[in-house]
Amino acid sequence: MIPGAKKGMFKVGLTAACASALSFATPALAFAEEKSGIDVILPDMNEFIPMLVAFIILVIILAKFGWPIFDGIVKRRDEAIKDSLKKSEDARIESERLLEEYRKQLADAKSQAAQIIADAKKTGESVQADIENKARMEADNMIEKAKAAIDSERKAAISELQGAAADLSISVVARLVGEDLSDDDHRKIIERYVNEAGSFNAN
Amino acid sequence: MPTNRLVEKEKVVTYAGALLDAANQMGGQEGVLEIRDELEQIVRIMRQSIDLTEALSEVTYSPEQRAALVRSVFAECNPVLVDVLAVMAERGDMGLLNRVCASFEDQITEKLNVTVVDVTTVVELDDHLRQIITQKTSAELGTDVVLREHIDASILGGILMSANGTYIDASVKTQLENARTTLKQTVDGGEC
Repeated sequence: MIPGAKKGMFKVGLTAACASALSFATPALAFAEEKSGIDVILPDMNEFIPMLVAFIILVIILAKFGWPIFDGIVKRRDEAIKDSLKKSEDARIESERLLEEYRKQLADAKSQAAQIIADAKKTGESVQADIENKARMEADNMIEKAKAAIDSERKAAISELQGAAADLSISVVARLVGEDLSDDDHRKIIERYVNEAGSFNAN
Repeated sequence: MPTNRLVEKEKVVTYAGALLDAANQMGGQEGVLEIRDELEQIVRIMRQSIDLTEALSEVTYSPEQRAALVRSVFAECNPVLVDVLAVMAERGDMGLLNRVCASFEDQITEKLNVTVVDVTTVVELDDHLRQIITQKTSAELGTDVVLREHIDASILGGILMSANGTYIDASVKTQLENARTTLKQTVDGGEC
């Protein structure tokens, strides 16, 4: 509770206490002699006037000291409530603005995420295609090299076999010529070769 | 002014001419052919012996020492040939010996109208073969022909002829080598 309000409440209590004390100051008036008839409901002037005076005094005191306090309290309370309502309205507007902004950011983020995923997927597909092409080319290259190596080996083997066969054949022929031909056979060969041989004048 | 090459050529012709004239005067055509054979043998020996070749051209030896070396090494050869070789050694011209031999061969043909044909066979030639070879080579060379016969079993058969640095190889050995080369080169024909 604020200090002003506390002080006002104290003043109101003091005024009420004074009015009560005044009414208790005339107990003789309250316990007057019994009445009858209409006088029962009519006010007794001996009581009414002091009570009226006390009431007027109470009203004056309350009007003087109590009312401004209550009015101030009510006004401050009203202002506080209005201020709270205004702040609450501002906070609501701000929160709605922030919420809208967050929603927009969330939508942007979702859009960006979708774009990133799409790009990543596209990049992944491209990389996969490159890897597949590269692997296919390497495999083709290896196959070609293997084929070339096999072909080379085959040719080398054939050449070696052919060379061995040629060497063997020539060796056999040389041995036959050296061992089996007589001098006359050699002379016949010489005569044939001389007639078939090239000329010294040929260049 | 003559260049070194012309001077050397002149030297070669001079040495070969002197040798031919001296041989011809001493023994006629037979003497010339004898010296030719010895000269060929000496050239062959010097090709096979680097030490002998270097010793005969060694500049640290005096000319007299080189000439004495030639006379002692080739003492068994024809004196005319030994004299010419000694002069060449004295003058430090033993490096020209191959060219002198070739020039000697050329001058035999020019001056004597005779060409020496070296014939190599496996068996000794008979008169019939000598006549055939002589007629063929004489007709081709346009000079008289003298055959110098050699026996070499390594040619297996056929005949090998050479004259004036030209060779005709009709030996069985060479023909077999050609056949061997042809067989080895025909790789593509081996497809199964």
